[in-house]
Amino acid sequence: MKIKGHFDRRGFLQLSAFLSAGMVLPQSRLSFAAEGDLLRIRSDSDITRLDPAFEIGNLEDITNRCVLISLVRLSDMRKGNAISPWGAETIEQTDPKTITFTLRPGLKWTGGFGAVTPEDVKYSFERIADPKNESPWKYQFEKLDSVEVKDERTGIIHLKEPFQPIWLASLPYYGGHVVCKAAVEKAGGKYTTEIPAQCGPYLLDKWEPKQKMTFKANPDWPGPRPEFGSVEVNIVEDDQAAQLAYEAKAFDYCRVSAAAAKGLKEKPLPDTTLIEAQSTRYVWLTINIDNPRLKDPKVRQALQYAFDGEQVIAGTYEGLVPRSTGVVQPGTAFTRAKNIIDKPDYEKAKALLAEAGASDLKLNLATLNDSRYMTACQVIQATMAQAGITIEIQPYDEGAYWVLGDKTQGDGYKNLELVLMAFAGGIDPSENLVWFRPDQIGVYNWSAFDSPEFEELYNKALSEPDQAKRKEMYNRMEDLMEESGGFIFVCHEPFVAIHKNTFEPEILADGYPNPVGFKKL
Amino acid sequence: MPSGVLEILKRVTRDPLGLLGLVLVVIVIGAALFADAISPYDPARIDVLNKLQGPSAAHWLGTDQLGRDTLSRIIHGARVAMGIAVFSIGIGAFIGLILGILAGYGPRWLDAVLIFFFDSLSAIPLILFALTVIVILGPGTGTLIFVIALISIPVYGRLVRAQTLSLRRSEFILAEQSMGASLPRIVGIHLLPNVLGPLVILVSMDIPTVVALEAALSYLGLGVKPPTPSWGTILNDGYVSLRTNPSLVIAAGIPLVIATLGFTFFGEALRDALDPKLKGRRAS
Repeated sequence: MKIKGHFDRRGFLQLSAFLSAGMVLPQSRLSFAAEGDLLRIRSDSDITRLDPAFEIGNLEDITNRCVLISLVRLSDMRKGNAISPWGAETIEQTDPKTITFTLRPGLKWTGGFGAVTPEDVKYSFERIADPKNESPWKYQFEKLDSVEVKDERTGIIHLKEPFQPIWLASLPYYGGHVVCKAAVEKAGGKYTTEIPAQCGPYLLDKWEPKQKMTFKANPDWPGPRPEFGSVEVNIVEDDQAAQLAYEAKAFDYCRVSAAAAKGLKEKPLPDTTLIEAQSTRYVWLTINIDNPRLKDPKVRQALQYAFDGEQVIAGTYEGLVPRSTGVVQPGTAFTRAKNIIDKPDYEKAKALLAEAGASDLKLNLATLNDSRYMTACQVIQATMAQAGITIEIQPYDEGAYWVLGDKTQGDGYKNLELVLMAFAGGIDPSENLVWFRPDQIGVYNWSAFDSPEFEELYNKALSEPDQAKRKEMYNRMEDLMEESGGFIFVCHEPFVAIHKNTFEPEILADGYPNPVGFKKL
Repeated sequence: MPSGVLEILKRVTRDPLGLLGLVLVVIVIGAALFADAISPYDPARIDVLNKLQGPSAAHWLGTDQLGRDTLSRIIHGARVAMGIAVFSIGIGAFIGLILGILAGYGPRWLDAVLIFFFDSLSAIPLILFALTVIVILGPGTGTLIFVIALISIPVYGRLVRAQTLSLRRSEFILAEQSMGASLPRIVGIHLLPNVLGPLVILVSMDIPTVVALEAALSYLGLGVKPPTPSWGTILNDGYVSLRTNPSLVIAAGIPLVIATLGFTFFGEALRDALDPKLKGRRAS
């Protein structure tokens, strides 16, 4: 067959026959990439900082799951988030303050930086724990005392005091990813989008900003081979566009909007599996306790009585999830049984407002300019109007929104009134509650919730080995949040995704996939 | 109705497209004026259990993602679109008229300053300028009116200035000046009536542009705030459920087409009716 130079009629016919055969043969690898060696998944955002100490999450952590190691890893969120050794060959809690690990043999950094050593683990964890570095993940290692290097593969993690979240929150991902000490130091102590050295099951092959990231299997990876030789993560921000792209066979795995679930159930896509689950992403309404218009507890309580969670969830999330009873993941051993105020009572709300002398209450509700949250805000606006509360919705783009409660940007955070907020959470309750500690006021605690009892319980619960006692503490902390009038818990968002039924995806507790764990069927 | 206006309307309706434009404009303005009376439901009333319903006897154009009646929202959307268009263009035209007359009839230095002002405003890309102002002031009806009024000032100012410059040298103005007529008299009695005609034509032709701009900014979430219905926000709401309920996007698109075509046809017919040269040609 001639393609270069002279392309004659015979060549054309040969090429046509070849292409046709490729398309019609039942076993053809041309039909679906996921049936071959390439896995194509969707991400809704690009990377900005890949350094595990400073990453934000989403595609950044998906990347680190591919190109770095963590000592342990979690199983799929739908399979109970079981912990198993990963970068460590063995790992064991020898006493409440000591964890001993031995690294998997044969782990090797790219770029000639040699073997992965416990020295790298020490550097990675202690760097995050060091308050000077101001890592957003420092809470994951706040009880870390040191990492002791025993030999070329063995190390010991020493904790200042027992720290229950270490297995579920600290070690499996995010801050738990291990970086190459020599390479990062050579890069100046931290990095953004250029990974100085990689050691994971995949290697980053190419990053096309705002378009895609491509990974190839790491030939030097000593662990179990990932089932797909290459992975493409395509960046498509819009859910509708992503779903269309999936239907056009551009993706093999794609997270879609909750609103799409109904249509996908009514008209299932061919050769596709629909996943519906509850994610760890929690949504709540922040009420700024410090705002002069909201200082009176009766006003804040009136807002809680004027909130109709069922309507919000039906309007925004198709009623796919129940109302949350707190920020702790529902369905776990630590979930609070119910909200103190769990049903709307407009008459009571009106009476409370009248008592507070605020019958014509008008408040601004800030939100991300996103169709999902705008919908939720409009339901809140309409339902609160029944209690005589006028809500004006203030939509903000991402950049402006995330600095609204940031004290480093001036005193504007004190003027916030209501904010609809959503955080990607974890499976250990401490991960979701950490943002409401007093030291987070003006950072992420936009309610200005300042409870010494909450702080005391938070610290006690970190070390408490008795799970029943931990549950009591976490439940009390959520009671304190609700009693303060600074919070209205909405829900943990539904997780909806679609994928080709030729493989089984692995989705971690944060709702993001782990391409390394995808299994062909 | 004054006989002059009736005569103009007669001329407009003689043109079939002008007549069609007038009918469409009347429909849009009628919907805006009588929205409360003709809307079957409160446009802000939500009913999440009946969301994204297709057209039915109860909801002729179906419901949106919050169960609000689409027809009622579209009718009230006309009020928003017309309100913003009339206010913003009205303010822009009024300021442009004053500045244009000042530039055309005032001293040369003032003309130079105002021309510089018009040029500076015109040099800023429209959408970019609108987005910048909205980011600073926050989205909302007031911001939209402010942005549109500001960017239309140079357009009207230049037109009025050009008209004034040509009129100030005309014999009847020179005669008035030689007879010692006061400035307010010359401007009010002679200049103003002669520049208003072209200004009205331009205003009517600009309305569809403003309607489309308002819809575009609202579509992006930068226009009117919820729960105020706007054709742009209805389009945006419809986009989210485009796969399952395309009727919402279609329903929001139709009034935009009606308003755009209506004001364009009407504006063109009005221009023809008021243009003396064209009128002369037609009479012959």
